[in-house]
Amino acid sequence: MSFLAQSVRQVLRHTTQHVSLNGAMRALSISPALLQQNKPAPSTIDVSAIAKEHSKAIQSVCEKINQQVAKSEQGRLFAVVHLCGKQFKITPGDIILVEGYWPPTIGDEISLDKVLLAGARDFTLIGRPILEPGLVTVKATIIEKTLTHTKTHFKKKRRKQYMRINFQRSPNTMIRINSIELTRPVEHNAADAPPSLRLF
Amino acid sequence: MSNSHLFLKSGFPRAPLQNGLGRYVCQLQRITLKFCKNNGSSRGMRDFIENHLVDFAKENPGIVVYVKPRRHRTPVLVAEYLNGQREWLNCRNNSQSEISKWIDLLKTQNGSSSSLRLRKMWHTDVPSIQGPWTPFLLRSPEAQNQTYPSREISTPLDVPQSATEKLIELFKQQKLEAAGEGGVDGVLEQKRAE
Repeated sequence: MSFLAQSVRQVLRHTTQHVSLNGAMRALSISPALLQQNKPAPSTIDVSAIAKEHSKAIQSVCEKINQQVAKSEQGRLFAVVHLCGKQFKITPGDIILVEGYWPPTIGDEISLDKVLLAGARDFTLIGRPILEPGLVTVKATIIEKTLTHTKTHFKKKRRKQYMRINFQRSPNTMIRINSIELTRPVEHNAADAPPSLRLF
Repeated sequence: MSNSHLFLKSGFPRAPLQNGLGRYVCQLQRITLKFCKNNGSSRGMRDFIENHLVDFAKENPGIVVYVKPRRHRTPVLVAEYLNGQREWLNCRNNSQSEISKWIDLLKTQNGSSSSLRLRKMWHTDVPSIQGPWTPFLLRSPEAQNQTYPSREISTPLDVPQSATEKLIELFKQQKLEAAGEGGVDGVLEQKRAE
């Protein structure tokens, strides 16, 4: 019977909580101190040892990546770049299109600097949000600047003698990705270094 | 969309002849400017030829420029590309700046673009380098070797203990305690209960 009484008490407690929780005070912790669990602080865990192990693991991964890149066994690289408000997943030889007005003209060779992610078959470098400048170079060439097909904008309101027709062609730029390269070895402590002052 | 779009060809971005890999080749082969020497409709074209055409030809040695005067006809731009396409453009009453813009467009494009609706803004020959994602990627080996249907996995994770189960548990506990006190008789009773 004792357990039944306990469950009844639990149910009652829940109802009171629900009643007290509605309204704008939801964000605040209003449950009484008796209901809140007082967990003992985990004093036995050694944080520094864990951090040391973690850094050691990262170091070994970085070394493996650097070895692979030094032997040029990494194979084809791919990257996610941010270009004109859009993100493209690219690999050497790809063609991407930028919609709308964009100043570079045909034959221009550009480097895409906002690299969000770079990877190969066996590893991936993820930026927070972008990789540090100079780690990965992405070279590209503009190969075409043209207009889209004619888009028709047709508007009509019934029984209101209203009809409009507009034709629109917007500029498009085609870009060929030439190369994606890792320019310098991956370092473990690079993330802890102060961020460069370069702003995009 | 109007009915004229029903027969519009659609396609994917392509570049002719691996253009841009290693070197870039301007795809415009030759351009012909047709105009009239007297008519007002070709005034902008005449201005362009007087002021900018020589500069344009000098800047673009790879493009052959033809100028063709003809009496009492509208001015026209004709561009021929390396892929054999030919684009014809009417420039009636266009100003000099408009004509220079159109010529720039003809120069920068790879062929006549007006007839193709693009379905994608991206083209690649290597769609995946680390392999395409599957639902079995980065799963634990136990999950890989699981045989289905499995009773353990099918049950929900948060089934609370029912009152009946709790009662049975309490009853057994009491029996055990009784057995601890009562010795052999208690154990016998417990077995009977089960």
